[in-house]
Amino acid sequence: MTDPSINPAKSSNGNTPLLELRELKTHFRVDEGLARAVDGVSYSLREGETLGVVGESGCGKSVTALSIMGLVPMPPGLNAGGEILFRGENLLDRSEEQMRAIRGNEIAMIFQEPMTALNPVFTVGNQIMETVMLHQGMDAAAAREHAISMLEKVGIPSPLSRVDEYPHQLSGGMRQRVMIAIAMSCNPSLLIADEPTTALDVTIQAQILDLISDLQKADGMSVLLITHDLGVVAQTAHHVAVMYAGKVVEYATVEELFSNPRHPYSIGLFRSLPDLAGAGERLETIQGMVPSATHFPSGCRFRTRCTIATDLCASQVPSLDPLEGAPAHTVACHHLEEAEKL
Amino acid sequence: MSAPDNLLEVTGLKKYFPIYRGILSRHVGDVKAVDGIDFTLGRQETLSLVGESGCGKTTAGRSLLRLLTPTAGEALYRPEPGAAQVDLFGLSEKKMRALRRDLQIIFQDPYGSLNPRITVGNAIGEALSVHGIAQGSELDDRVSELLRLVGLRPDVANRFPHEFSGGQRQRIGIARALTLRPKLIVCDEAVSALDVSIQAQVINLLGDLQEEFGLSYIFIAHDLSVVKYISDRVAVMYLGRIVETGTVEQIFENPQHPYTKALLAAIPVPDPSRRSQRVHLEGDVPSPISPPSGCHFHTRCPVAEERCSRETPAMQACEKGHHAACFLAEVSSST
Repeated sequence: MTDPSINPAKSSNGNTPLLELRELKTHFRVDEGLARAVDGVSYSLREGETLGVVGESGCGKSVTALSIMGLVPMPPGLNAGGEILFRGENLLDRSEEQMRAIRGNEIAMIFQEPMTALNPVFTVGNQIMETVMLHQGMDAAAAREHAISMLEKVGIPSPLSRVDEYPHQLSGGMRQRVMIAIAMSCNPSLLIADEPTTALDVTIQAQILDLISDLQKADGMSVLLITHDLGVVAQTAHHVAVMYAGKVVEYATVEELFSNPRHPYSIGLFRSLPDLAGAGERLETIQGMVPSATHFPSGCRFRTRCTIATDLCASQVPSLDPLEGAPAHTVACHHLEEAEKL
Repeated sequence: MSAPDNLLEVTGLKKYFPIYRGILSRHVGDVKAVDGIDFTLGRQETLSLVGESGCGKTTAGRSLLRLLTPTAGEALYRPEPGAAQVDLFGLSEKKMRALRRDLQIIFQDPYGSLNPRITVGNAIGEALSVHGIAQGSELDDRVSELLRLVGLRPDVANRFPHEFSGGQRQRIGIARALTLRPKLIVCDEAVSALDVSIQAQVINLLGDLQEEFGLSYIFIAHDLSVVKYISDRVAVMYLGRIVETGTVEQIFENPQHPYTKALLAAIPVPDPSRRSQRVHLEGDVPSPISPPSGCHFHTRCPVAEERCSRETPAMQACEKGHHAACFLAEVSSST
């Protein structure tokens, strides 16, 4: 697991973040109207750190990641505004050709389902070789050597024979290791991991999370970890962004968020966890369900499920503002004092 | 283990899937998905079967309801306290069909388990008409009542499954399982596909229904935090065998089998101040076609000894009601 001694303060000495989203908006034209899947998302990620993005299905966390990679199909997707600053430069201004040089090279991504993300008709070796031959101009022999060393690096036993195997010959955990080997093959500075362990068993999940954080420590890359599992976030992230209905509702360091969640949605999420420590009592729940992306409520989007919502919440969108006395902890709620009593 | 009013006593349950090879389709081996498991289930009790993919927990649940034909074993079912026991595996199809009223199942995938062309009301009411229990307006009333029971409005009965969210579909699945007033429901990963806040709603619903109708659950799951929350007793499975059983406190506070310990250690705790420095299990689950000799777990076990690869450890009592199949478990002398 990530070493908690990697202090966020260490890398915060004034340097610009590796990745910064500013009011990013990615919408989709669908039959029902305009789906505002990502609607004004701002967060930043510093070098060598892990940012956990949490939220339920349909909150826009994966679409945000695809937008960073420039992988949202357009149409039906459309860019409705905002900036994606990578090393200070806006990725949305880049041409498709320029994005291709960044994608897989400087920014790599791993997905939830390693079986569908790998090509079944190529050997795993070929799939790693393709990346380095394309991006780094290696010849086939060098690329093969590199593929074998990458497989070894991600902990695949007997890489010399595994390099010639096909994805179906590997277990789920091994396939995810191969995905990571492909993603890491060009030594990216940013790894986007979209639910990387959701499809895996808990013992294999622990192995994969260990692997990601070991590689991160060795290479100093940043990780954008998208997950719905608050346990995974607690174990690996430095900062956390909580998303709801296309917006970030709360952003803080992991210690701050878990000890002092302030947005009613974050509070509700924590309360609905069946905790390992205390059993027996009735679980608290968040009433209702996530609104559809084509018909978000006006004002604060959580108000339809919030127990302390007022007329103000319906008329005015709360901005993501820093807490008094804790400038690094931002919350988008009109009623912070009432929320504290929840 | 045996009590006079247990709902269910399962012994030696086996389910093998034969493997055929070659042009003559010779029988060359078996996938021993469930390889001789014993468990009991009391009234209004929740027993969880836990373990990783491929450990046989789902196969065990389905074999129990004879949705898969068990290879061996017996499942003694006692419909009422004091009534005579019947062996579910020895019944004719016809008698089993009548008993199915008592035995229901809820599936993991609320998208795949509802027929997209049948309205929700018909899906729930079908069992009532098949078993000749209710018809016409009486059937409609029962369907409305069931929908209300699981927290849905009765007027949704004419809608189709695609109009519902995942959590609502799971409620429909639960309503359908409740239609015939069952005594036992097998919940096969019933909350695994749901978001945290929706999962909590469904867990609470299952708890309320258990209390109201005196239901017993066999809860098949891989998420141990949910299991800890919902269960009375837990059975941990590895490669087709139960390696440890006990009350939820015994399993979580005082695990004895190294596999149980590893499984618990692997759970990511939602508390950043408790980042684990624990040693994680290495390697994958071996193939159930040719499981390791002796104790199936010895290839991944951090404390395995030489004899673990030769002999199969028997279940032994550690405390009252707490059994583990490991040579190194702390065996209680009193029980």
